[in-house]
Amino acid sequence: MKHREEVIVEYTALLPTHHSSPITVFQMRDYWLSKLFFDLQTPAIAEEYRADRGKVLARYPLKPEVRAAVEADDVAGLSKLANPYLLRFYFLMAGMPEDDFLRRIRSTGTSRG
Amino acid sequence: MAELAGVYAASHGPMIVRNRDKLTTAENESLDSAFIELGRRITAARLNVLVVISPDHWVNFFIDNLPSICVGVGEVHDGPPEPWLKAFPHRKLAGHPALAEHIVRTAVAHDFEPSVSYKLTLDHGFCIPLWKSGIAPLPAIVPVTFNDIEPPFPSVKRCYAWGTMLAEAIASYPGKLRVGVLATGGLSHSIGEPDMGRIDEAFDRDCIRRFEDGDAPALFDFLNARLPAAGNGASEVRNWVAAHGAARGRGFELIRYDPIPNVYVGCGFASWKLG
Repeated sequence: MKHREEVIVEYTALLPTHHSSPITVFQMRDYWLSKLFFDLQTPAIAEEYRADRGKVLARYPLKPEVRAAVEADDVAGLSKLANPYLLRFYFLMAGMPEDDFLRRIRSTGTSRG
Repeated sequence: MAELAGVYAASHGPMIVRNRDKLTTAENESLDSAFIELGRRITAARLNVLVVISPDHWVNFFIDNLPSICVGVGEVHDGPPEPWLKAFPHRKLAGHPALAEHIVRTAVAHDFEPSVSYKLTLDHGFCIPLWKSGIAPLPAIVPVTFNDIEPPFPSVKRCYAWGTMLAEAIASYPGKLRVGVLATGGLSHSIGEPDMGRIDEAFDRDCIRRFEDGDAPALFDFLNARLPAAGNGASEVRNWVAAHGAARGRGFELIRYDPIPNVYVGCGFASWKLG
């Protein structure tokens, strides 16, 4: 009879790692950051956000480090936490110039190709 | 019985519309003429219904609940919500619930598990090709969303099987309809990732050759090996694979391939050989 820990170790060894290949079979996201990005597709919420970020952010239970990354326009930090389409939309909505976004996202590394 | 009267593919990159003033005259003319040729072929097919396979770009679905494949069974669909698509001429698009229901029933009978929606909003993925190709009159639309946006994705092989099932559903529909299938999206592109803006022209041209050849297993092997490195947007080639399945892997005729940097997308346009 194997100990429970041994079984878990054997099982874990069978799981694919998130970064074993360029394709992401599945990647966990930060739910509330994703929800913020998703909700900001509503023009009225986007307008409210551009006028007063803090007021909108207060409605989302973001982890302190995630909120700090949002407030710092930290493209690299946020890129690991949300879907890339939503990430791109968010910075476009927030008013970051396209060239600036491209420079920042490209500086995060070359994940493909 | 209904008849599959045409199978098509077209890219739907937003920058085709949004960056129009940054493209050269020659680039705009090339894209315009490709869409117009696509529209000419679709209009000539005299379709009653067009099944359009596209991803949902975070309009209808979120990570609360993100279906792998969803069939729009509603009487009517909403037009695009994107502010930059205000000029799209349809705020409402007619659906075809009877064919949509038959597709869902056929899918279940073939061991698929489709989601259904009675009220879909059709974003640029659906509407840019419908608009730019100038199809007139616009047939009823049965929208089918494939999740090409957020992993886990349906496998390439599964998408092909879905396409063959779709062809069977159309062929067995007990009504006199001419039905087309339009897959939108692709080819290579990367959005919101470190290689955003990169077009993998070598991948695109290899991919096109394999769609032209029509050898489905070779296409699966190629895509399983190369799709992951062609940018996250290249995942939309899954929709083309479903169209390939609907056309029974007969191979397609390329209308145009335009790798235009300011569109960010390797733009492809094609129609499949039928009969």
